[in-house]
Parts: sequence; C-alpha cells; structure tokens
Amino acid sequence: MNTFATINQSNYLFMRRILLLLVSIFFVASTFAGGYQVRLQGHRQTAMGLVGVSLHGDASNLFYNPAGVSLLKNKYSFMVGGSGIFNNTAFNLQNSVYQAETDNSMGTPFFFYGATQVNEKLGVGVGVYTPYGSSATWDDDWAGAHLIQNIAMKVFFIQPTVSYKINDLLSIGAGLVIATGSVELNRAVPYSSATTPGQVNMKGNSSTGYGFNAGIMLTPNEKWSIGIDYRSELTMTLEGGDADFTIPSSVTALIPAANKFDAELPLPANLDLGVAYQASEKLLLSAEINYVFWGVYDSLIFEFEQKPELLNSSNPREYSDAMIYRIGGEYILNDMITLRAGAYYDPTPTNSDYFTPETPNLDTYGLSCGITIRPTEHLSIDLSYLHLETQQSTKSYNDPDGTNFTGEYKTRTMIPGIGISYNF
Amino acid sequence: MKIRNILLLFVLVSFFACKPELDDFTTSNGEADFTKYVAIGNSLTAGYTDGDLFKSGQENSYPSMLAYQFEAAGGGEFKQPMMLDEFGFGKRLLLDVSKPGPVAAGGTPDPGNGASIADQGPFNNMGVPGAKSFHLLAPNYGIDLENGNPYFYRFASSPGATVLEDAAAQDATFFSCWIGANDVLTYAIAGGAADSVTDIGTFSYAVDLILQTMTTNDAKGVVANIPEITSIPYFTFMNTQLPYNYLVLTEQAQVDALNGAYAPLNQAIIASGSNDTLSFALGQNAFVIVDKSLTWGMRQMDEDDLFLLTLPTDSIQNHGYGSQVAIPDSYVLTSNEQAEIHVAVTDYNIVLKNLANTYGLAFADMHAKLAEASTTGIEWDGITFTSTFIYGNAFSLDGVHMTGQGYALATNFFIDAINTKYNAQIKFVNPNLYPGLYYYQ
Repeated sequence: MNTFATINQSNYLFMRRILLLLVSIFFVASTFAGGYQVRLQGHRQTAMGLVGVSLHGDASNLFYNPAGVSLLKNKYSFMVGGSGIFNNTAFNLQNSVYQAETDNSMGTPFFFYGATQVNEKLGVGVGVYTPYGSSATWDDDWAGAHLIQNIAMKVFFIQPTVSYKINDLLSIGAGLVIATGSVELNRAVPYSSATTPGQVNMKGNSSTGYGFNAGIMLTPNEKWSIGIDYRSELTMTLEGGDADFTIPSSVTALIPAANKFDAELPLPANLDLGVAYQASEKLLLSAEINYVFWGVYDSLIFEFEQKPELLNSSNPREYSDAMIYRIGGEYILNDMITLRAGAYYDPTPTNSDYFTPETPNLDTYGLSCGITIRPTEHLSIDLSYLHLETQQSTKSYNDPDGTNFTGEYKTRTMIPGIGISYNF
Repeated sequence: MKIRNILLLFVLVSFFACKPELDDFTTSNGEADFTKYVAIGNSLTAGYTDGDLFKSGQENSYPSMLAYQFEAAGGGEFKQPMMLDEFGFGKRLLLDVSKPGPVAAGGTPDPGNGASIADQGPFNNMGVPGAKSFHLLAPNYGIDLENGNPYFYRFASSPGATVLEDAAAQDATFFSCWIGANDVLTYAIAGGAADSVTDIGTFSYAVDLILQTMTTNDAKGVVANIPEITSIPYFTFMNTQLPYNYLVLTEQAQVDALNGAYAPLNQAIIASGSNDTLSFALGQNAFVIVDKSLTWGMRQMDEDDLFLLTLPTDSIQNHGYGSQVAIPDSYVLTSNEQAEIHVAVTDYNIVLKNLANTYGLAFADMHAKLAEASTTGIEWDGITFTSTFIYGNAFSLDGVHMTGQGYALATNFFIDAINTKYNAQIKFVNPNLYPGLYYYQ
C-alpha cells in the first residue's frame, strides 16, 4: 500500500501526529454493547443508530463496508475520531441488600482512515480502529471479586483495503485485517494471608492475528443503496502472558508466585445487511441488521506453564449468535450542517447461566443523535452522542466448581464522540 | 449560535446522571423496630474465629451482618469494640499448605488491643468471649486485664460494670441474645478435666434476668438456643482421623509387654469387683485413657468416647500415649461426660425456648440447624455447610467458632426467626460475600 506516498507532506505529518496521539491515549474501550464488540467506527454512523453498511460517502466505509471506498467523491479522504465511553453497571446481589457499582474509567475507542481514488473505478485505503474492547472496574473486595476485580482488554485492527466499482450498480471491496491486542485483569484468589487478600494479576499481549473485511454495495438508482458486509472471525491468541500471584508464602509451595499462561479469545464474525433510501434531497433513511456470530465464544480457557493440573481452568461462557436491529436517518439542514438520529436494539449474546461481571452485557436499547458541521469545503467535524440503557436483569454465573453468583444488573452508558474529516 | 448550543448540550450531557440506578427491592421491619440494635452473647456474638478475636473476624460477626441487613429496614449505626489489627491477643490460627493442621499465625499483636476503649462506647455488639450466662450479671467481670475477662475489660463502662448493665443502658429497640454455649463448652473443651457445667437453676435465673431487663422498654428481640457438642468439629473430628481402637500391635512381644505391665492393675480392678480390665492382642486395640470416674482412674476407650481436636497425636505415635501411658483426661470427653453435657444442653434449650415465648421474642433454633449441618449438611447459595473440620465451611480453624461464611449462615437463621415472628421482610445474607477458610501463613 502506497497510500501515504502521494499525500501532501504537511497533511501527512498532521494526520500522523493525531494518529500517534490517539494510539497512546485513546485506547481502551469500555464494554457497552454486544459482548465486547465496539462498533463506534464513524460518527456519522454512530449518530444514526450505528447503521453503516449501506452508507457511502466518507472514509469510514473502510470499516463499515469496504465496497464504498471506490464510491468516494474526492481524490483523498481522511477521517480521524474517537469517543468517550462513560459506562457504569450497578449490581444487586440476589436476595441481599448488597449492592455494588463499577467504577470504570472512560473508555476511548478511536479510528483513523485514509483513502484515495486511484482512478474512477479503483479506490484504496487503510484504516486503523478498535472494534473490540472491554473494561470493567469493580472494587477489589466486592462480592464478585473471585470472578473479576478489574479487566481491560484492548484490541486494534489495521486494515489495508482495495475497492473496485464494477459498474454503476455494483461495487466490491475487501481488506486484510491485521489485529493485535492486549489484556490485563485482576481477580481474587482464595488464598489470603492474615493481612493481605490473595490476588492474581494476569496480563499479556496477543500475537498478531489475521482476518478480512469484505463487502458489496449495490446502487440500483439514485435513491437506493444496499450494502452487505462480512467481517471474518479472528482469534486473539495470548501466549506466555504473565500471571503474578499475590499469595501467602506457605502457599507458594503449591502455587508459584510468578507463572506464565496462555489464553485465547475469539473475536466473532459479523454479517451486516443494510439498506439506505434517499427519501428526498435532504433526507436519508437507513435500516440495517447485523448478525454477530457470538456462538464461537464457548469458554474462556486459561492454561498455565507451571502447576497446570492445579491452575488450568475452563470457564464456560456459552454465548449465542445475536441479531442487532438498527434504524437511522440524516437530514441536510444546509450546506454547513447535517443532523442525524437513530436507534437500535442489541440483544445480549451472553448466557444467563454463565453471565460474568467481567463483561456485564445486557439487552441494550440505543438512541443516538449527531451533527456534522462543515466550516470549509474540505473539512467537516462530526459530533455524535449515543445513549444506551439496559433493562434490569437477573443473571447468574454457575461456576463449574459449584459456586453460583447471582444478582441483578443494570447498565447505563453515555458516549459522546467527535471526529474530523478532511477530503480534497 | 445554534452550533454553540449543541456543543453546550454535549458538555451538559457528559455531566448528567451517569450512574444507573437499580429499582428498589422490598425490605421491611414489620412489627420490629431496628433503630437501635444491641447484641448480647459470648465469643460467637463477638465474631471470634480461627482461635482469636481480631478485626476482620469482628467485621464478619453475625450481629454486624444482621445490622447491615437491618439498615435497609430502618436500622441505625452499629458499633463494635474493634481490635486494632488482625492478630488480636496473638492466638490466631492460619493454614499452612505444608502442614496437616492449623499453625499459629505469628505476627506481633498491637499492644493497644489490650487497652480499654470504653471512652469510644457504648458498643452495640456486647458479645464477650468466654462469658457464661451468669457472667453477664457479674459485677467486676471486666475489672482489669489480668483478673477480669480481658475482652470485657476492653469496653466495660467502668471496672465494676456488668455486661447486662452496659447493654441495658443503651435502651435498645431490638436485641439478640445467644448465650449459654460456654456454660457447657468450657467444661467440654477441657475434656471434663477442668471447670464445670452450670447448673440449670443458675442458668435459668440468669437468662430470665437478661431477657426481663432487655425487654423492660418493650424492645423486640431474638433468642437463639445452643448446639449439641456433637455438632461441633472440636469434639467429633479427631475420631474420624484416629478411631478409638487404632492402637495397632504387630508383634507378640508388644502384646505381652502391655499385658504384663497392666497385670497388677487388672488384679486390683478384679479385686474391687469390676471386670473392666485392660487387655491387648495382636491387631487393633482400644486406646488406654484416663477416666476419673473410676476409682483406679483408667480404662480402654469405647466407641462413644471422643478425642478432642487438641489430642497430641505425636505423643501417641512416639511416647506411648494410649498404650504405656493413659491418654490424659483433658484430651478425651468420655461418654459419661458427654451425657452430662447433653442433659445440660437439653435443659438449657428448654429454658431458652420457654423464656423466648414468655417475653414474646423470636426464637432461632441453632441446635436443630447445626445438627442438620453435622448430619446431612446445609446448602445455602451454592455453599454446602457441614461440621467437618477445615473442609466443612461452617467452622473455623479452632474447631469451635465459625467462619465468616458460617456466621453468615447463622445470620440467616436469625433473620428467618425475626421475619417469622415480627412479619418483617429482612433480606438474607449471601454467605459467598464473607470469607471462608482461606487464610494462610
């Protein structure tokens, strides 16, 4: 990919600075919907209830539907943005007055896209984005500490992409996904000294994973567009992560204080199908379904280098595939301002019997709105706000060892976001 | 202008109620008033566990758990006479993965643990480790650290104060009373070699006075009865590890030597008109124990005699305990001693139940519940409670007092009794919230 080579040098440096800034600061994404998936990859889409597969016209097509890249109107399109996820989960232990609440720090998913039209038919680009992530911070001594005290999972994808407009009706596009990530978690272990509670800290970086993102865009006429996109499953493989146990000295004869572990986490495939209708010159409406192949997340397995017979664990998750329903619209108020709104319903893929507070994900209703402001012909600023509410739900985690952790959960999430596009 | 408004909205939204709120759940006080709760009792009430009274144990005492549950139904502040650290008076026990039984925790207890904190009182938790029923009425019970009860000394309002006076002075609207276990336990733990069982008259008088005093202001309350000692691992565990007849003789020379050594005693036994002689053969034999009810002072053990948790098994292995030397009285509770205790427990429990009725109080049948735990086990929120030592979840490393989870179970039996008697809807506690036996050296 030679995307950057032709870019005006000052623009390139400007974008690169922003990108570095984003990579260093905007990294963690809080779980807010659909397991540990994060679809905040463009603020136009976020503002429209996260519809996206049938939309075209900006560089975020790299994520939502690579086929749209060949339909971009400018020679060069760049987009960078991020969101702040303010997410909290409240918990009430079953049959108890005990309540707890997460104290999550702000989640910060980000994206960067650059695309160029090589000729009328061919578009190429590259995207860097964070489609999965999870963070939950409970108190160290909370009731579910043996399941999780805190977790931060970060994944980011780099996706070089080629898109080809076959004819006025049909465009296709595909990108190679190169994924990397890291995870760190703390949980309580049942070995405490008189004064120090037992804990294990596990962290590591995943090896690089590969997948693809391929889409089709149908544009039968000026009014309609139909998009289909498939993003393949990836597996984050963590080998030789550090597992450090804070345990009493006599227990270290049984459990080494410093250990290594392997684990795998599937990042499920997505099949998106959507349609957009230009109802009038100013009004665009869109509807979409996303089928997420969460069924692949069967169990979370930890394998340890030392004392595997004692420490290895297979923790059932038993997720189910999920179907997400979305609608959204945008209204062009004038040359400078576009307004947007949307809504969606995202049923949880989690299993009611194996629901863990590490990913306290519930059936979620999302409402969103946003605005794009174009101060100049080339520059636009996108703002979005997404509000998520869940129903209060009773969930259990039935550990294979027989213990049970049941309670009511409820989550509220607020996600303001900002992005900048520069097209010329 | 419009843009500025929208930006402002974004900023406002970021500060807007970010926290989800769970819907309310039902909990109600019924006919009871939990505004001021005072707990009366002994070590079980104080939160004694793993051989000592220390901070985290006190935090997980059943009165503390009850008070936490009462909060949602109008309960007020609950103050306990907290130790300053995790080592109390230096008797705490811990597990050690390389050792078969508990070990001393070590650590250096804060000397402040022995200082009076009465000026921070009064304390809602009036549980005093070591207290028997009548001790609660005794003046000077906490006179000083050496001559009084050291635990009561810590928070007695004055050197001459009685526990009951200090409890009654708080004018409780609700109280719990779990007293009586030490009236038999001090004797039982000593293997019947020291102390004595409180006579029923004294016990009855003391409990009557306690309940009468605490209800003079029409306070509501809950009374618990006491368990059979056979529900407690301190008395039952060792026999599962070392049966009464596990003196195994493999050589005829050993058999002859023992029979020879006990021949003069056997002659004396026969001469006194008994046929309870001591005899040994190849294979398994019953151990020799001290029995002070016999004029000649020893006999071979029966199935019904109980070894105590403190039995020095290494002395049996290496120093002829149970064969050449009779196992001392203090390590064995004979069937006669058990019968004496059983009668007392039965009588006490009749008194406790009758008095609870007389004063219109709720009654928690801990005797039945702990008997159930020791036979079939009790399951609660996924935890199975039995009276097995170390692995039974209910009892702590001292074999007598409970674990945090065990106290949580007891709390639920109190709550059940309170809800039934006073039409209250107090939520149960989840034992998973409290520590089990997870403390290691």
